[in-house]
Amino acid sequence: MKWIPKFNSSNSLRVIFVIAVFILLFLSSIAYKHNQDLNESSKLVMHTYEINIQLERLMSAIKDAETGQRGYIITRNGRFLTPYIYSRDKVNTSFITLKKLTADNPKQQKNLQKLFGLITQRFTSFENCFKYSNPQTYDKRKLDNHMFGGRILMDNIRFQVDEMNDIEKRYQQKRLKIYDQEISLSPVFSISLFLTALIFIILSYRQISKDIKRLKIFNKKLLISSRLMAESEVIGKFSTWQWDLDLNKIDYSDNQYRLLGFKPNAFVPEKDTFLNFVHPDDKEAVAKSMEGIVNKKQLPFIYYKITLPNNEIRYFKSTGKLLTDQQGSQILLGINFDITDEHLLNIELQERNRELEKSNQELASFNHVASHDLQEPLRKIQTFISRVSDADKAVLSDSAKDYISKIEVSAKRMRVLIDDLLLFSRTNTTKKEFIKSNLNELLENAKSELTEIIDEKKATITVSKLPKLDVIPYQIEQLFINLIGNSLKYSKPDIRPEIDIVTEKVSSKDYPDLLEPNSKKFYKITFSDNGMGFDSQFKETIFILFQRLHSKTDYPGTGIGLAICKKIVENHKGHITADSILGKGSVFTVFLPE
Amino acid sequence: MKLFIKFDINTICSLFLKQKLEEQNMNFTTLGFGEIELDENLSVEALETLKNDLSPFGFEVVENQKSVLVQKIKDAIIELVYMDDNNNFKSSVFLAEKLNHSYGYLSNVFSEVTYSSIENFIILQKIERAKQLMLVNEMSLTEIAFLLNYSSVAHLSTQFKNTTGITPSAFQRIIKKRRENLK
Amino acid sequence: MQKNALHILLADDDEDDRLFFKDAFEEVRVQTKVTFVHDGLQLMEHLMQPDVKLPDILFLDLNMPKKTGKECLIEIKKTEHLKNIIIAIYSTSSSEEDIEDTFIEGANIYIKKPSDFNTLKKIINEVVTLNWHYHTSGLNRDNFLLRLK
Repeated sequence: MKWIPKFNSSNSLRVIFVIAVFILLFLSSIAYKHNQDLNESSKLVMHTYEINIQLERLMSAIKDAETGQRGYIITRNGRFLTPYIYSRDKVNTSFITLKKLTADNPKQQKNLQKLFGLITQRFTSFENCFKYSNPQTYDKRKLDNHMFGGRILMDNIRFQVDEMNDIEKRYQQKRLKIYDQEISLSPVFSISLFLTALIFIILSYRQISKDIKRLKIFNKKLLISSRLMAESEVIGKFSTWQWDLDLNKIDYSDNQYRLLGFKPNAFVPEKDTFLNFVHPDDKEAVAKSMEGIVNKKQLPFIYYKITLPNNEIRYFKSTGKLLTDQQGSQILLGINFDITDEHLLNIELQERNRELEKSNQELASFNHVASHDLQEPLRKIQTFISRVSDADKAVLSDSAKDYISKIEVSAKRMRVLIDDLLLFSRTNTTKKEFIKSNLNELLENAKSELTEIIDEKKATITVSKLPKLDVIPYQIEQLFINLIGNSLKYSKPDIRPEIDIVTEKVSSKDYPDLLEPNSKKFYKITFSDNGMGFDSQFKETIFILFQRLHSKTDYPGTGIGLAICKKIVENHKGHITADSILGKGSVFTVFLPE
Repeated sequence: MKLFIKFDINTICSLFLKQKLEEQNMNFTTLGFGEIELDENLSVEALETLKNDLSPFGFEVVENQKSVLVQKIKDAIIELVYMDDNNNFKSSVFLAEKLNHSYGYLSNVFSEVTYSSIENFIILQKIERAKQLMLVNEMSLTEIAFLLNYSSVAHLSTQFKNTTGITPSAFQRIIKKRRENLK
Repeated sequence: MQKNALHILLADDDEDDRLFFKDAFEEVRVQTKVTFVHDGLQLMEHLMQPDVKLPDILFLDLNMPKKTGKECLIEIKKTEHLKNIIIAIYSTSSSEEDIEDTFIEGANIYIKKPSDFNTLKKIINEVVTLNWHYHTSGLNRDNFLLRLK
């Protein structure tokens, strides 16, 4: 079914969509990852800052403790000891926090441990300073030592803190750098991917809209053709039906209902619905061929009768075909033709043909019998006359002698007529036995048949070589006799007749007016003479039975000779034509199939 | 006065004939009633004289003699026709020489006895041979025409048709079908 | 020309034809004895008589009542003691088919009944002469085919 369009794009469209979806999925996963990374890095920064702050706190607590210590040592006022005492707690708190914060970093832990050691030493040094600054236990040298040691410890602590800060910073910087790198790459990539996806989507959109447009056009065509189909079903008096074997669903075309004498969709067809309409005579045959169709996949034409609800009988012709669609489901398609009109016409035609054949046969046998049986009495008339004229003419009166000679002439003429008629009817009725014959021989026979008149008129007959053909020998001989005889008969009185017989092999397509153009080979035999000729307007009529161009007193004849020629040539599936220029001569052309 | 004479006609005739023949100095033997054999062949003229002598008495030479001659002519014609190399002979010359009579005489005797002419008989025999050659030797018309000294196939065909009323090909066809019928 | 008269048998149902035939033979130079039968049955009865003198030539009309000439022809050619009779078909028909048919069935001569008495005499003469030739000149009777118009 050619008219169903192929939507090739649907598959490629699918591919495009899948690719686009993948690209989008990919893009969102990248975005998600970036988000994660960002979170991570901000956490990292926070972490670093927190460590930094805690370290600064630690430092300031130590510094507070140092300031408090100094103040107390100088003033011996207990109020200065308060920051020192708090600082101790602060240091611990910060320290715990730091320990948590650096839990993931063994190096920092180690540094923290070291810092803790230093801080502990520093607080020990504070205690010692207090001890030796206490007036009760005052020892200037030891205090100086501790104070000085404290100073060095402080520097160490600061150094350690700075180092830890540095480590964090470096670590953070390294992370940020990687992050920056990643962050700086992704936008270009994402955008290009996005654009690609966009292009894909646009392309597929275009394709879809194109397909939709085509689909619309085809839908329109489909609509038109289905209407056309419905119309032509009505006009052509046929209908279609489909039977989905898998779903066991049967659809009738609108006209099918009409042909069965219903309005479209008047009932829901089932498997045996149709059979109910079939005339009882044909039911079995139709049922059988319906079953056969599934096996044979094809149904040759079946002919049967249908009885309509109003008891009218219609003649149907049906055929069907089993189709398997792409999905593999089997559908039986059928066409029914209502051939009632043709059928009735055919019957009438056959009847007429039979009548015609019968009357033809009757005519032929009548012709044969009539002329055959007419011969008998005529022959006797002639024979008796011949006996009379031989013996008794002397005794007769002159008028009686005259009557007898007139009877003789008429009887002779009747004899010629009957002989010719008989010959004509025989060219129709005798069995047509084709025998491979040498036409040269048949022509010789014809010439010897005509010897007398040829000699009498001193005619010359020139013949080019004739072929060997499958012919009815007598008939071809008769044809030659008639054609040559015709030329001799209508020769000019003062000129010796010259008859030229020329053979040529031709193809039927060279003579499309005369022969069926089926490229068959023919022998074209032309008989040309230098006789009186005839007006070329009569070139068709001279072949008609009893048509004569001359009065019978001038040229006795029956008007049968050329009709016999035509009949003979037709019996050989050939063709004969005549042409002439009045006063110059005639040409008869015979085409005989090879 | 009435006399009743009894006579034997046979004896009278035999005696009369004997006397007549002796008059002509002919030696003969009587073979039976109405048939005598002469010791020597008579010339046509002598035979003619004898005929004329006898006819006033109601005797007629039954022309057996002529029949014999006709038979001889026929034999000579057959010999001529079946000779494979007969182009050198003109039939009239051949017959005259062979039978020691003028052709005119032969021709007369022949038509008198057979009611047909020597020429016709020659043609009949030639056609007969043509038939044989056609059927037995399966020769073509061309070959036959050459062998039987016809100027052309057409000439042979025409003569065949004129003699038998049918064409050589029809003749062949008929005989062939006849033979098939017999099988 | 012949010691004994030529024995001719004509089978024809037409009285006029028999008359023409008889008259024609009377005018022929050859001495003949002509016998007539009126139809096919009579012909066969005649030929089947025990001591019948078989004809030298049988003239046979094709179109006869009771038994057609062609049926007689076939029957004669099938009968051992009759099959050598020279048979001349004597008929009105000039159909090539009839002619060839009867020749094939064994007829020797085919004569189309002439429409002129002189022609009839001429034909009969010809037949008798040729027949005599066939009898006396060693011609093959199997090849004896003659068609006269």
